[in-house]
Amino acid sequence: MNARQNQIQTLLRVDLSSGKTRLETLPTSWTAKYIGARGINARLLFDEVNAGTDALGPDNVLYFGTGPMDGLPIGNGRMSVACKSPRGTIAEGSFGGFFGPELRRAGVDYLAISGQAEQPVYLYIHDGRVEIRDASHLWGLTTDKTDAALRREFRDPDVQLRYIGPAAENGVHSSVIMGNLNNSGGRAGCGEVMGNKKLKALAVRGRQGIQVADYDAFIDAYHLYRQRLDLATSRDPWTPVWSTYGAPALVRLFAGMGNLMTRNAQEMGWEAEKAQRIGAEIYLEKYVAKAKACFNCPWPACQKIHVIPQGEYQGFRGGNYWAGQPVVFGSLIDNDDLDLTLILSGLCNRYGLDIFHVGFTLAWAMECFERGLLTLSDTDGLELRFGCKDHAGLIDLVRKIAYREGFGELLALGCEQAARLVGGGAEKYCLSVKGQEIEAIAERNMYMVALGVAVSEVGPDHTRWYPPYPCNPDLISRDELLTLGVDLDLRKAFQGRNPEEKGKLLRWFSISRAVVESLPGCVFLVRDTLGLDMRPWQQLFQAATGVQIDYEEFLRAGERVLNLERAFNVREGYRRVDDRLPYRMSHEAVPHFNFPPVTQAVLDGMLDEYYTANGWDLATSIPKEQKLIELGLEDVAFALRGSTEEAKQ
Amino acid sequence: MKELELQYVGPIATLANLLAERYTTQTATLRALIKELDARHPGLLQMFVNPQTGQLNLNTMIYYGDPGQIPAPVLNLDHPIQDGGTVTFW
Repeated sequence: MNARQNQIQTLLRVDLSSGKTRLETLPTSWTAKYIGARGINARLLFDEVNAGTDALGPDNVLYFGTGPMDGLPIGNGRMSVACKSPRGTIAEGSFGGFFGPELRRAGVDYLAISGQAEQPVYLYIHDGRVEIRDASHLWGLTTDKTDAALRREFRDPDVQLRYIGPAAENGVHSSVIMGNLNNSGGRAGCGEVMGNKKLKALAVRGRQGIQVADYDAFIDAYHLYRQRLDLATSRDPWTPVWSTYGAPALVRLFAGMGNLMTRNAQEMGWEAEKAQRIGAEIYLEKYVAKAKACFNCPWPACQKIHVIPQGEYQGFRGGNYWAGQPVVFGSLIDNDDLDLTLILSGLCNRYGLDIFHVGFTLAWAMECFERGLLTLSDTDGLELRFGCKDHAGLIDLVRKIAYREGFGELLALGCEQAARLVGGGAEKYCLSVKGQEIEAIAERNMYMVALGVAVSEVGPDHTRWYPPYPCNPDLISRDELLTLGVDLDLRKAFQGRNPEEKGKLLRWFSISRAVVESLPGCVFLVRDTLGLDMRPWQQLFQAATGVQIDYEEFLRAGERVLNLERAFNVREGYRRVDDRLPYRMSHEAVPHFNFPPVTQAVLDGMLDEYYTANGWDLATSIPKEQKLIELGLEDVAFALRGSTEEAKQ
Repeated sequence: MKELELQYVGPIATLANLLAERYTTQTATLRALIKELDARHPGLLQMFVNPQTGQLNLNTMIYYGDPGQIPAPVLNLDHPIQDGGTVTFW
């Protein structure tokens, strides 16, 4: 078996309009500067997708990026997908599975897909070669059927696939790219862009090995990494629960703490009995058929395959029940029937819909219905109230969203656009930022979450600053913190409703997670020392690539990525005013728990601290020229001069 | 006597074979409560108390809330418990 040198990263360009393809080698200096995956995708996107590019035109480029850790035991199969979002911002997401490692084994690290095909196509990449194949027979199929059809075609169990569903083909807002049936990625509209290019699927197969630069050093670093994730030796209280039960275990915990969005976040608590019915314990005991993990992941918690054991929907299969599903198809719509939760989330996967788009837009519609802003004539006769018992009606509504039929046409737009069309104050009930629905984490009880949701370049995405709910800061000393480059008062920073130190903490998490997602690794596997110790990752990176950079420079790569992504948005016209919170979070207190809203004044204080820590202009949020030059991004500084001058005027 | 609301989450639910229960006790602290509960749910003491230091094991967590208060993580096992309190073993 051939082995690839891990220091060299390759880019395969595919122009779907002309059918031309080209394999390039990326500059070797980029590995130290941007690492890979999310980092290199950000660099490519900034360089190649000009300001004002039509996101749904041929000039938008869809990038798939692996990185130097993909295909190694550490990589967990993560990879990055990026493009310009149809909403206008940068779109970037990470997904797991097995596709990334296989792509590298096929001799390709990055894919840049431009143009638009005339007829539906799919790409087959194998051992350094690429074929553009007809996909007419796949167009219109749901993701599970697409998966099955391609597997029949290839007759090779090791071929790895990514595909879109009918939602992306039909141009549904925020539609995603799927793989391994239940892995989704690119919720900011990457699926919609892929559908617009008439690219139904990607298939890869490779046979090359990947050669690490220093095998012994890699094994040493790997042992350290695994020791910190071990149930017996970890000092992180989240490890035992996380590694086995996964994030749905939070539902019961958060229901009584004011952290569980209920009835479109009008409330933040839920009856304990209801939370129990959709919690991780019941799920694991009665529904899980098989534990599954991404490539070489030590925690088989998030990819479990489940089957509904009895009742009307007996036999319905799905997977990947994580924190989002029990909230958006549980408490958020006041549904405590686990069968329905699993069906709604499973259908999202099959249609290629984003669960947060569907869940939050559905909850918005329910609130509008209860307030009289929507009526039975709008909802195709569906009595769309919280706790809706018309399960068949809800299930059909998800289908209508994917196919943009009837009332589904409105919800397919996402709640922000839909609210504008409905009017009458419906905007107040829409929980979105930068045109993207938020996620299932409590802004009004955890101010770092509020700040993270407001500033995220891609729209709300908690993986960019995970973990939002750390444990007790006493577990790590001040001296240890300073060694790790974390110069802040951790106790204050982790106090939920204290705005102090949140800007600094968020900056730390944003930068360090940009590093993890560029390696790429999984942000859920950063436990121990509260996710603050990046040294094991630095050791792994050095051993894998042979690139010797110190700890400070390693983190600086993450800072470059964050600044590139911010710069992309600045060039598209995004400014401080766009770093905001949904109306509910900034104007309404949380009943029962008496949490006040995160007012604009509170948010402004946190934004000031965050921008200052990042070296960004306070009035505009534009990265300062001096900061960009310090990061070695002189070309970005030059490109932003026009934006800075315009902002001054 | 104190009546408490006890919640067992994730692996602790497996250990207790129970998701939640109302529990009456005369104990005054979390440490004493755990010791008493160990008779009912064998293994709980070993799970939560480090035998060498007598402190909370770092890979476990306890959330405690007095009546009407929102539960919060507690590191000190000598933390007092009150009638109507809620304890979540994580």
